[in-house]
Amino acid sequence: MDIDLSPEDLAFADDVRSFLADNAYKAGEDFGQWRFEWFEKAKAKGGWDVPKWPKEFGGPGWTPTQHYIWERETARANTPWDMPFGVGMLAPILMGYGNKEQQERFLPPIRTRKQNWCQGYSEPGAGSDLASLKTKAELSADGSHYVVNGTKIWTTAAHIADWMFCLTRTDDSGKKQQGITFLLIPMNDPGIEVKPIITLGGAHSVNMVYINDVKVPVTDRVGEEGKGWTYAKGLLQHERTGIAGVSRSVFALENLKRNAASVKRGNGTLLDESGYAKKLAELEIDLMALEFTELRSLASASAGAAPGPESSIMKLKGTDIQQRTQKLTVEAAGIFGPAWGKSKVGPDFGRAGMGGYLASRAYTIYGGASEVQRDVIAKNVLGLKKSSGK
Amino acid sequence: MDFNFSDEQTLLGESVERFVQDNYDLETRIKLANSKEGFSSDYWNTMAELGWFGMPFSEADGGFGGNQIDTMVMMEAFGKGLVLEPFFASIVLGGNALARAGSEEQKAAHLPSVIDGSKRLTLAYAEEQARFDLFDVTTTGKLSGDTLTINGAKSMVPSAGAADTFVVSVRTSGGQMDKNGISLVLVDASADGVSVDDFPTVDGLRAGEVTFTNVEVPAGNVLGEPDNGFDVLSAVARDAILALSAEALGAMEILYKDTIEYTQEREQFDHALSDFQVLQHRMVDMFVEYEQCKSLLYRATLEVVQGADTADRTVHALKHLIGKAGYFIGENAVQLHGGMGMTEELRVGHFFKRLVVLDTQFGNADHHLEQFAA
Repeated sequence: MDIDLSPEDLAFADDVRSFLADNAYKAGEDFGQWRFEWFEKAKAKGGWDVPKWPKEFGGPGWTPTQHYIWERETARANTPWDMPFGVGMLAPILMGYGNKEQQERFLPPIRTRKQNWCQGYSEPGAGSDLASLKTKAELSADGSHYVVNGTKIWTTAAHIADWMFCLTRTDDSGKKQQGITFLLIPMNDPGIEVKPIITLGGAHSVNMVYINDVKVPVTDRVGEEGKGWTYAKGLLQHERTGIAGVSRSVFALENLKRNAASVKRGNGTLLDESGYAKKLAELEIDLMALEFTELRSLASASAGAAPGPESSIMKLKGTDIQQRTQKLTVEAAGIFGPAWGKSKVGPDFGRAGMGGYLASRAYTIYGGASEVQRDVIAKNVLGLKKSSGK
Repeated sequence: MDFNFSDEQTLLGESVERFVQDNYDLETRIKLANSKEGFSSDYWNTMAELGWFGMPFSEADGGFGGNQIDTMVMMEAFGKGLVLEPFFASIVLGGNALARAGSEEQKAAHLPSVIDGSKRLTLAYAEEQARFDLFDVTTTGKLSGDTLTINGAKSMVPSAGAADTFVVSVRTSGGQMDKNGISLVLVDASADGVSVDDFPTVDGLRAGEVTFTNVEVPAGNVLGEPDNGFDVLSAVARDAILALSAEALGAMEILYKDTIEYTQEREQFDHALSDFQVLQHRMVDMFVEYEQCKSLLYRATLEVVQGADTADRTVHALKHLIGKAGYFIGENAVQLHGGMGMTEELRVGHFFKRLVVLDTQFGNADHHLEQFAA
């Protein structure tokens, strides 16, 4: 065992750092323009715009260590926002199960970030129990298209998306995991209606999506009819690892410490308060361990392969850590926590903190609630079965 | 030993609960919270007519001679609807400070209109640098002849925009952290040099930053003896904690009961969510925490009413537990409601937000744990 970075890795880290520094956003620049150009330049570096894509699809073919370095450095730097749906979630499915025509049609605009995607999974009656989804896709008599009807909920970014990848039911005669079909649906179809859902932090990021008689050509079906659940399951594991956000948490903890140190208390700072300091230390210890859980998982997964059940461990602990970080931010703000975004009082971090804390409560709900992650670990990792008694 | 409320207290509780039930559905509350005033003047007047504002004041002061138990009964019921009217600011804070420290003349000048609802008070006690320490006061009050000149700023003043008069803690002598040298002063909201920046807080209530720039008030506006305001401030803070804890208890009850109801209706994996043992146990823990809070609230309130030596320590214990349990019950109510718990459409999120804010008022769970252990 060895935790030192090799000279090659150190050189790579330097390369990443200087790339990020050279291409950081400068005040006054057109933000949208900068964002697209940033991805272009990252592409020119050899696939840095799509770090997780396999080499044959234009990815960089990094070692796990290089991925780790990239995550750490980008979490710290001012990189352009990026939605996980296209590059991170749909692209691997298209690579694995889509046909050549679909790959050629969708991967390039996904890669440039000029085409935005959203994920049509959850439904009002299908949350943690996703497989019970009911959005119906009926094949036309001539077999040329599906007619889709149903309602999706919690659809992040549906209001800005061009396309939705969508789980639909084409058959309800067998087990509920069977008969699910993976379709690509354009959001500008007149049969699509998007209604915002305002969440506790006051933000609009999720939506209801009503699908009324939308015709989807069979050519926009990914893989085989009725196999959608298998494709989606692999995707869920990608999503979970992403949600764990270890690198972001490392960076967030550094911020939190800085913020807490700026809060005066008597002659010292908040860091001198025993209760607060203890919670901060416990958080850091958990995060130190999770960093290595992630590294171990990276090292064991061959590049490009879907992560296994360890993604549930990552999601469980990762979201817990993010929530605790947010809560400690609210606590650091003291009396000013409730002032949040709408006023100008108290420390800047404190006003942002409350919205962040409230939004973070969803982390243990979406992408499979923590209770479900524990079920997954119990069943698939520990091999525990639910017995029906003697 | 007797844990029963008096007949009057039971009736009072029922009357406030009925008012909340009839007038505080979620939709109405959201509308009121978003209105210009942030609450209903009609409700305020109704509360005054029902005599609720006179409850904790002595008969000599024009009240009904109640005590912290009566306030607890009312605040718990208010907590079940997240009532927006500034009862807490005007009665539990401002009116209380005035009744405790004011001269007969000062009380006669203000309390009758506080009790009949025509005048609203609040307490401006917190400062930006002070975090939760009531004695950390930099707002100055300089006495010169018959005039007191006030300079400084107070933060997160509850219901500041609705107040006609502030009770302000000012430093009339001593250093920034000295408990001696703090005075409580009545300052008119409309006095020259007073500016109020009023804003909504995350729980739908309002708070304000109040700045004082060369504000001149008559020396007679000082409540009680100059320099000796800290004891009164502490006593008011203690009552405030009891009242807020009672409100929290009401909110917790709604949260755990709504969660039980929702999990029985919502089906996933071909079962009602309430069939899953892991969720049953979570709800049991929420309920147990709620009961523990209720016990400590009763204990602390009774100790304060009876003037027990241990009262201060028990109040620290109470605010610690309320803060901790408030987060636990609120977070789990949201968690067990799933995505729906994250929306503004269901009331659980609103009750959760109130509990989070409650923890920041008059010292959070950590602060009181530290005081308790000291």
